Amino acid sequence: MLRAAVCRINNVARTSILDTASRIPAVVVNRNMSKHSTETDAEFDARYEAYFNRADIDGWEARKAMTDLSGMDLVPEPKIIIAALKACRRLNDFALAVRFLETVKDKCGAKEKEIYPYLLQEIRPTLNELGISTPEELGYDKPELALVNVYDQ
Amino acid sequence: MKICRDGVYQAKGEMALNPVFRRALALQFQQILKQQVAAGSTAAAIISKIGNREVVGYGFNGTKCYVDRIDFPMPAVRFKENTPDVMALREKEKGDWNKLTIEEKKALYRASFCQTFSEIQAPTGEWKSVLGISLIISSLAVWVYLVMKMYVYSPMPDTFTPEKQAAQLQRIIDLRGNPVEGISSKWDYEKGDWK
Repeated sequence: MLRAAVCRINNVARTSILDTASRIPAVVVNRNMSKHSTETDAEFDARYEAYFNRADIDGWEARKAMTDLSGMDLVPEPKIIIAALKACRRLNDFALAVRFLETVKDKCGAKEKEIYPYLLQEIRPTLNELGISTPEELGYDKPELALVNVYDQ
Repeated sequence: MKICRDGVYQAKGEMALNPVFRRALALQFQQILKQQVAAGSTAAAIISKIGNREVVGYGFNGTKCYVDRIDFPMPAVRFKENTPDVMALREKEKGDWNKLTIEEKKALYRASFCQTFSEIQAPTGEWKSVLGISLIISSLAVWVYLVMKMYVYSPMPDTFTPEKQAAQLQRIIDLRGNPVEGISSKWDYEKGDWK
């Protein structure tokens, strides 16, 4: 009872803070405090795809969305990845695209061998069109350079 | 004494305890501070902690620092400063990426990031040193015990010889010690031997 009331107050506070933000709110969503979000998977995908597809997206916002995705317990859908790669192209940031692909690969976790080839296969047309190399093509699936531990210097 | 971007530090080995040295240090600091104040608030004159690096995002906590983290993959600043060759690469980056060579692509990546994911997650082999050092310390403990036994502890009393131990056991059996479930219950008194 108390928690429901606190949740509602929290919601109001949150939405009011979001409204006064000078930046366009990253995602306009009804953020419930409980784990039971009413958003379906399709709505979630559409939301992130639309966000990356914004023509005037800037580097800060793209990185914010990518970091949020990497914080969630999911592997982004190919269409979200494609939208993000196109956003990188608009930002003229090649390194960000490769980093995002590394992030997606890491999100696959233990099931990397099953999920990652499927993802690559789905986004291959976009990779070829934009000229983005996967981390494997750059040789970054194995360590290339070694960094001396700060405690050993 | 070398001056680096972050201030003044001593080369290794030099002692800064000499009061003349310290006075020279203090004078240097005052000079730098005066320069900063005189320059006012122009961004170019302020010795920025991140140098010429481009700020690109929020990072992991909003500060303009660079940390390689798997959970926050896009740091707040680019890794390398905007040197002329990096700027030249950025110009090429604005064009078609299909035209970039692999070396240029790798250089672009390394300009923005220090380590790749596989380098961040590469095994360090630290477990070998941990295991080795713990085993060495355990063996030292064993040595300590051996030295104690040889030189510190007094000799065992003569009641510990096998013959005397047998005699004590015979006495316990004769006295019917623990006859229900214990030692004497295992002795067969008719036979005169263990059951």
